[in-house]
Amino acid sequence: MSVPLAAKRRRRSFRSRGPGAHILGLLLVLIWGFPTYWMLNSAFKTPDKLTSVEPEFFPSPLSLEAFIRAFLKPGFLTSLGNSLLIALIVVLASIAVGFLATAALTRFRFFGRKAILVTILAIQMIPSIALLIPLFLTFRDANMLNTYWALALAYLASALPFAIWVLRGFFQSIPEEIDEAARLDGAGDLRVLWSIYFPLVLPGLISTAVFTFIEAWNDYIMAYILLQEQAKYTLPVWLVSFNQDTGIDYGGLIAASVLFSIPVVVFFLLVQRNLVAGMSGGAVKG
Amino acid sequence: MSLPTPVARQDRRSRRKTRSTTLTPLFLFAPAALVLIAAVGYPLVRLVISSFQDFGLKSLFLGETSWVGFQNYINIFTSDDFWPVLLRTFAFAGACLVLTVGLGMMMSELMMRLNKPMRVALNVVLILAWAIPTVTATLIWQWLFQPPYGVVNWLITRLGIFGDFTDHNWLTTPGDAWIMVTLLVVWQGAPFIAFTLYAGQSQIPREYYEAAMLDGASGIKIYTTVTFPFLKAIIYLVSVLTIIWRFNIFNQIWILTRGGPEGGTTTLGIWSFREAFAGNDYGQGAAIAVVTAGILMLLTAFYVRRLVRSGEQL
Repeated sequence: MSVPLAAKRRRRSFRSRGPGAHILGLLLVLIWGFPTYWMLNSAFKTPDKLTSVEPEFFPSPLSLEAFIRAFLKPGFLTSLGNSLLIALIVVLASIAVGFLATAALTRFRFFGRKAILVTILAIQMIPSIALLIPLFLTFRDANMLNTYWALALAYLASALPFAIWVLRGFFQSIPEEIDEAARLDGAGDLRVLWSIYFPLVLPGLISTAVFTFIEAWNDYIMAYILLQEQAKYTLPVWLVSFNQDTGIDYGGLIAASVLFSIPVVVFFLLVQRNLVAGMSGGAVKG
Repeated sequence: MSLPTPVARQDRRSRRKTRSTTLTPLFLFAPAALVLIAAVGYPLVRLVISSFQDFGLKSLFLGETSWVGFQNYINIFTSDDFWPVLLRTFAFAGACLVLTVGLGMMMSELMMRLNKPMRVALNVVLILAWAIPTVTATLIWQWLFQPPYGVVNWLITRLGIFGDFTDHNWLTTPGDAWIMVTLLVVWQGAPFIAFTLYAGQSQIPREYYEAAMLDGASGIKIYTTVTFPFLKAIIYLVSVLTIIWRFNIFNQIWILTRGGPEGGTTTLGIWSFREAFAGNDYGQGAAIAVVTAGILMLLTAFYVRRLVRSGEQL
């Protein structure tokens, strides 16, 4: 009897839910939460309150004025549309191409399969600057600067390997017997792809779509170099260029940044668990 | 009745054989191959080729390029900037490694100890810090550190240790600029490590802890003898990822400092970008990018070798 009691007492001392951990926890919550809190606090302020000498910790009056100004800024809606369009192209292309490629890599044995998988892993380690310079030169030669196709192709370079890597796990969990049963019933390759694989890897395709969307939506450097006309800017490029204007309207800029971040944060909350698994599962793009 | 089984098995085996010689996988993989060749393979070849060329504005507009052999590479290694830039890149990646992995380990251990409401609160702020896009985070940083309205300067002034910080400009010395960039990257980077480690840590069987406690081990002892060995593989993985990501840092520095003041925050990536796109010397920029990729490959050679070896079982 005395041994378990002693153990219990010790357990209480180890991993104590005592004040120490909670004070540290509170401190971390305050520090890590502060930038986000300050972003929201600033976005809902009126311009005069934003630049008051003593910063105000709660926006009063709570104002949506900055968001309205953001919407009315020249270029905001255009870049929003551009960002949505390009993200859509990349998402559709990466799940379609990734789905077919992963089916080939996981459901068939063929020469060079392993080499391809290793190459796909290695691609994810290439610094983006190493692709940026030659892509710029190539698209310039091909007269494709300022086109969404060029940007979409550049994004696919990193989205596709990642998609294949994520989908691989989903394909591998489909038992071989299912294909065989379908084939015995006379299903051809296309039929197996569409009626067997597609519904079974659908959750994987959805996570892939979300990852790809986030990557395309967030990118700054590729779009900054490959799109040089203001009318073609994506939101991140527009936000940064807006930031470099003289006499910046910080309220409008922060409100626009909040609007830009909302879809990503929502998607993140949906797939956070998969993200941990996906990223540590060998995918290495930052 | 016993006949169908062996027949079916043989049939299955033969089908697998025909499947392996079918052209289907080729068709399925063809689109991906095209994309990867166009968007990765060809650009990499072109990168290496242009690193041996004098590829400047003239080449851009007239299409004239001349071969210069290793001149671009010689320029790198004889440049006064090379060693400081290299050192900075390493120091920054190293600092981020220690800070983000250290903080991530601490956060994950803390999550195990906090009560539910506190854990949820910590989770929420960490997910937000992680999810907010880099461009947004960087712009917020600029606003936080903005003289004279930035709240950070106000807080420091309020602390009263460093005097009046209201008009302090964080972009006048490289040291200050680095503090700003590092805080940003650590703020964004630690949550991923904390969540990944926490996912691993919650898999550790309870019995191990109970056994350690029966042996009378203290909190730190338990961490080093039970928790750490379990997490070692994950810590290794997130460390390699951190090195790769921070070695290749670009956006945060470019938007905040453009590599300044006086080149004080120029890393290899920024250097390559500046040479190519600000200096219009694409050959030189390409050579720096090749060197950067080479250094990164050396740094992560162990990891890559393990990946390739794991490829044996793919």
